[in-house]
Amino acid sequence: MSCVSDLSQSNEYLSFRSSIPLRKIVVDSDSSKAWKIFDCGPKSVACPLICLPPVSGTADIFFKQVMGLATRGIRVIAAEPPPYWNLKEWCDGFKRLLDYLELDKVHIFGASLGGFIAQIFAEYTKNCPRVASLVLCNSFTDTSVFEYNDSSALFWLLPSLVLKRMLMGNFTTDKVDRRIAESIDFMVERLESLNQSELASRLTLNCSPHYVKPHLLKDIPVTVMDVWDENALSAQVREDMYKSYPQAKLAHLKSGGNFPYLSRSDEVNLHLLIHLRQFDGTDLTPSFLNLHKLPISHTNQPEEATVSYFNQPEKFVTIT
Amino acid sequence: MSSRKKVLLKVIILGDSGVGKTSLMNQFVNKKFSNQYKATIGADFLTKEVIVDDRIVTMQIWDTAGQERFQSLGVAFYRGADCCVLVFDVTAPNTFKSLESWRDEFLIQASPRDPESFPFVILGNKVDLENRAVSAKRAQQWCQSKNDIPYYETSAKEAVNVELAFQTIARNALAQETEAELYNDFPDHIKLNANDNSRNKDGDNCAC
Repeated sequence: MSCVSDLSQSNEYLSFRSSIPLRKIVVDSDSSKAWKIFDCGPKSVACPLICLPPVSGTADIFFKQVMGLATRGIRVIAAEPPPYWNLKEWCDGFKRLLDYLELDKVHIFGASLGGFIAQIFAEYTKNCPRVASLVLCNSFTDTSVFEYNDSSALFWLLPSLVLKRMLMGNFTTDKVDRRIAESIDFMVERLESLNQSELASRLTLNCSPHYVKPHLLKDIPVTVMDVWDENALSAQVREDMYKSYPQAKLAHLKSGGNFPYLSRSDEVNLHLLIHLRQFDGTDLTPSFLNLHKLPISHTNQPEEATVSYFNQPEKFVTIT
Repeated sequence: MSSRKKVLLKVIILGDSGVGKTSLMNQFVNKKFSNQYKATIGADFLTKEVIVDDRIVTMQIWDTAGQERFQSLGVAFYRGADCCVLVFDVTAPNTFKSLESWRDEFLIQASPRDPESFPFVILGNKVDLENRAVSAKRAQQWCQSKNDIPYYETSAKEAVNVELAFQTIARNALAQETEAELYNDFPDHIKLNANDNSRNKDGDNCAC
């Protein structure tokens, strides 16, 4: 596949690909099934942020989060699952991945399908919690919103061209700004790179009848992130999310289209930072630095290091 | 209610530390006040739905640390702001003197399309205290000299004028947002050819 979109030619993306290796981890008996992950940040951090992609995405769509949050000392893992055909299989696979990476608990940033499965996974592990917190981006709690419930049983036999068509239909390119247009170009490229079983399995998960029981998740801190322009999910789906998580922090973005982690990465990263900051100083912190800004240092042996505050890499602060 | 598209208004509160920015936001959103001072670190936000002229709007109110001054929070923080609230403490003249530079700082960072008409609201907070040092007249004069910025005297502690001030903030922000929207609908079509996507309205003032 040739990558010619502006974003995949950008310095940030090239630097991401050249500095962080793509790891393939097999956790299933079928050795052809491998999770693909980019793991960036200090391995000493035991409770990292894991990013889960939507149907059309690959692990690298989160490169702006990986690169942006790494400067704050946050360990970010962008993960892409192998084809799993039902939610239980997916959850078991993900649990084995966490075991393999020796992670007890993780924060999950899930985009669309990624957010839906993150909720299912949190529900699935509620007796022995593996999810420290959730950031749900343009996500949903019930697959019935997609109106494919009946036909989803047949996705496995459709050719990839047909599956791609189904997804491409949602990629409106009408009246969008440059950054949204770039994010769409980039996602179309990622979609092109997926094979039939990857696509069909994700669409099956996305559309088979299933819903989240949010009352089981009320002890987990949640941020609901959504985009208020016309491209994204309908207002009704967004309202359902707010109702499901009345205690959640609501991180609304005015615009950004379907892929705000690409098109509005600075705002998304700011919201992620605010979400993750509540775990400062606890066992669940995803960073080796204090994510609150340090006003003045009172320590005896200060150590100087560069960390960027809201992506301002030139700022110097003292860390302990 | 109307079936019109829901509106999100982004409001940013700026001012020296200790003037009561967080308290004002908390009084407005949660109807709570605490005498205990806790310096805000970083930036945080709260959301609240309000009704402005029969329209439901969601206000996203960003609170900042007063110490943050001149240390840029980055464009993400300022981007898309619809109204900026500048707060000072009526018992502390320096906090009043800083308003000018807070305003400049905002205009530089946010670079709104039309800086002259961008909605600001000034709040003189802590009017419940005895030792007042900035007179209402002085504050009003300054506000008039700056394109007639609306001015309110508030007390976050006793909930004086807080509701009223935020109503004005919401109304002015909504007017700003509606205007920005008109801009956004212009031009109707942006062709997404590889050569053509550098020309659009994202961030710059192109009216095409």
